[in-house]
Amino acid sequence: MTKPKVAIYDFTDCEGCEVKLVSLRERLLLLENKIDIVNWRLGQERFDAGPYDVTIIEGTPITDYEVDLLKDLRKNSKVLIALGACAALAGVPGIMPEKDRKFWYEKIYTAQYRPRGVDAVPLSAYVPIDFAIHGCPVDEDEVVKAMEELLSGKTPTYSGNSTCFDCKQAGNKCRIRDEEKPCLGPITQAGCKAICVTGGSPCYGCFGIRKEANISALIKKLKTITDEKTIERYLTMFHSRTKEVNDGKK
Amino acid sequence: MENIYEPKFVKITEIKQQSPTVKSFRLEPTGFFNFDKNDDGSVFYPGQFLLVGNVGWGESAFGIMSAPHEDKSIEIMVRAAGRVTNYLHSLKEGDKITIRGPYGNGFPIDFYRGRDVVMVTGGCGIPPIAALIEYIINHRSEYGKVYLLYGAKSPEEVLIKDKLEEWRQHDINVIVTIDKAVPGWTGHVGFVTDLIKEIHIDKKNVGVAMCGPGPMMNAIEKIIRPLGIADRNIFVNMERKMQCGVGKCQHCTCGDKYVCMDGPVFNFDEIDKAWDQ
Amino acid sequence: MLVINENKIADFLKALEKEYKVYDNRQHPPYGGLTAKKYFFPPVEETFVSEKKGSLKTTKFAEKFVVFGLSIPQLEALTYLDEIMTKPAEDFFYWQRRGNSIVVGLIKEEPDALPGGDIVFVDLGDGNFKILKNTEKGEELIKKYKSYFAEVADAPSKVTDPGMSEWSKTMRDILLDAELLANAVEWSKNHKIWEEMATTCLGCGVCTYVCPICHCFSVEDKIDLTGKCSRCRKWDACTLPDFAKIAGGHDFRPTIKERYYNWFYHKFVRGYKEYGKPQCVGCGHCKKYCPASIDILEILKTILGDYKKSQIQI
Repeated sequence: MTKPKVAIYDFTDCEGCEVKLVSLRERLLLLENKIDIVNWRLGQERFDAGPYDVTIIEGTPITDYEVDLLKDLRKNSKVLIALGACAALAGVPGIMPEKDRKFWYEKIYTAQYRPRGVDAVPLSAYVPIDFAIHGCPVDEDEVVKAMEELLSGKTPTYSGNSTCFDCKQAGNKCRIRDEEKPCLGPITQAGCKAICVTGGSPCYGCFGIRKEANISALIKKLKTITDEKTIERYLTMFHSRTKEVNDGKK
Repeated sequence: MENIYEPKFVKITEIKQQSPTVKSFRLEPTGFFNFDKNDDGSVFYPGQFLLVGNVGWGESAFGIMSAPHEDKSIEIMVRAAGRVTNYLHSLKEGDKITIRGPYGNGFPIDFYRGRDVVMVTGGCGIPPIAALIEYIINHRSEYGKVYLLYGAKSPEEVLIKDKLEEWRQHDINVIVTIDKAVPGWTGHVGFVTDLIKEIHIDKKNVGVAMCGPGPMMNAIEKIIRPLGIADRNIFVNMERKMQCGVGKCQHCTCGDKYVCMDGPVFNFDEIDKAWDQ
Repeated sequence: MLVINENKIADFLKALEKEYKVYDNRQHPPYGGLTAKKYFFPPVEETFVSEKKGSLKTTKFAEKFVVFGLSIPQLEALTYLDEIMTKPAEDFFYWQRRGNSIVVGLIKEEPDALPGGDIVFVDLGDGNFKILKNTEKGEELIKKYKSYFAEVADAPSKVTDPGMSEWSKTMRDILLDAELLANAVEWSKNHKIWEEMATTCLGCGVCTYVCPICHCFSVEDKIDLTGKCSRCRKWDACTLPDFAKIAGGHDFRPTIKERYYNWFYHKFVRGYKEYGKPQCVGCGHCKKYCPASIDILEILKTILGDYKKSQIQI
């Protein structure tokens, strides 16, 4: 049986998720036995042209060139996977509100600057994606899980559990209940092992909004412990482009 | 301690393509295990289900469609719709898969005895009904008039066509209808609910058996109740999400009932109250 | 009576560690609200492995362990869970852990009947704990470690505060009339309170994770990179969206309103019909850990009040 051809591409981002791929270590070697990575700018010197069986894309396109490349990759790939929060949600590059951008362009680059960039939006705003491996950065086990499912001919599925499931197992205090601090854990998909809350940070929802999450109820609750500006800051850290979140705010 | 979750391996001895998306699988025990026999020699009761799948893939519930007294092998029907069903569709004859069961109560064959029986089903709901018909044919003199009203979207979606013909030879009134007229189809056109006038039964002495998707069940109000049949004489084989099959995991609950153990066959009188949309 | 001095408890547990893995449930946190349930029914547990086609291995668990320091509600909850995992059929994976374990309760007030566990330590308020033995397994353990225990003359307990919150006391009073509760919750299906819950409950599942009795699970299968096939069972929560969804997409409980009501229905109606008692011991965990601050006692009070009123009108 020929091994599936896999390409790994990246657009604008910090490349941290690709570092996570490298940090699979032994498991990356196991994976290499099963797949043929034919194009990976960061990891190797082989850059075969498509078509590919699976294309993994990290980051979000912010130039017309990158948008065209994305559309091209979609045409040339049987399965297209978004890797990490930037690709799946627009992530940190998506934080900037459009209306503020002009101001910052002028302030940083002077009024003469002619911007070429386009808005940072999730890959799914341009092309249909088959699956998103969430996280900022992604979790190694989640990457392996998605690969295992694809390799065994299954359609990868999202976890139905909330981050609270992971957080309880990690033995953390509840930020919302015990510390009266905001947290997006209850509406976020499980899989991160509650790494942020365990380390003392809030959950900003980088693992994606879980299915049918009651976002408006969480906002209602957060309003009892903090101000609207803080809530907005939490909800726009990764989700300024997430439709459910923007609907939930209404 | 016996492990209620431990599946047993069976070999696929025959695969038949029943429609573009449906295949039937005949399964035979492997190794030292044989199907357990009931007192009447059958290996399951019509309406009971199996959890079929494989470790690494998961399990799904399927109604058994073969004749209950056939004890060497059993048959299930699979529409490719999810992870487990797609996996089953990818298999070949000779491959091994796992089963657990049979589970559930099955249709009330003793209640039907001595009565006319009307069976209504549509689409992929035929398997448990097929097993019931096979059972009745095996005890034909003990049952009255038997009707099977079977609705399908199109002629190629009519499953087990060979069986339907065979049943007609055993005095089963098989009436098939398809949703929309197509060239070459000489049978009924329209929904199962339109077949009411085809049925001539003793409404005081009748039992109903049904299996099918939700909308079909609602249709019952339009066909079975107007025939004057009491709710308690109507038995419905219900579908629910199932994981354990043995009343632990809580997925299949419906009111105070477990579909896996108290069902999957309920009389309509029970369901009306417990039916949670 | 047989007692253990409070100064000797730590030594006793230390001694047990030579033979058993010891989980001291008094340390709380770091448990984040998960109860002793997790030792017998872990959040994720491998059940079967298949390394080559057509073969199957049951994942065995043989470690002997002691769970120490359970309160009365926690001991009761474990007794309920034992029953649930025994009837109508024994749950193999639960019992292969539960059977290997010894449960030691630590309570403040001598109960009329033992709430559960293998051994119970009752605080006498004078630095000593009275030893109550509930099972043969417990009795043997005490015999084996008898050097940590002392025989003293019977004396009444000096404990005045049984250490149960007002919330728990009220809840446990309500639980006593299980039939009324079951009728009221069943009656309340169309009560407006469930609409309110639909806009309050986050549906995150925390209440079921921290509940000492909730036992819903789902089964997950995987094939790893080496080709090893395995099956595991994982806690599920009836408030989560996929719980009642079938292949093809139909959801029998499509919104949080139905899901949340189902949680109550299971605890107070189905559980009562099945086992003759509600599946709740009034421990207060669901209230304490709910991120949306939902208080089930308030809900039950509302329902009970309205139910009683409705009965009078008839």
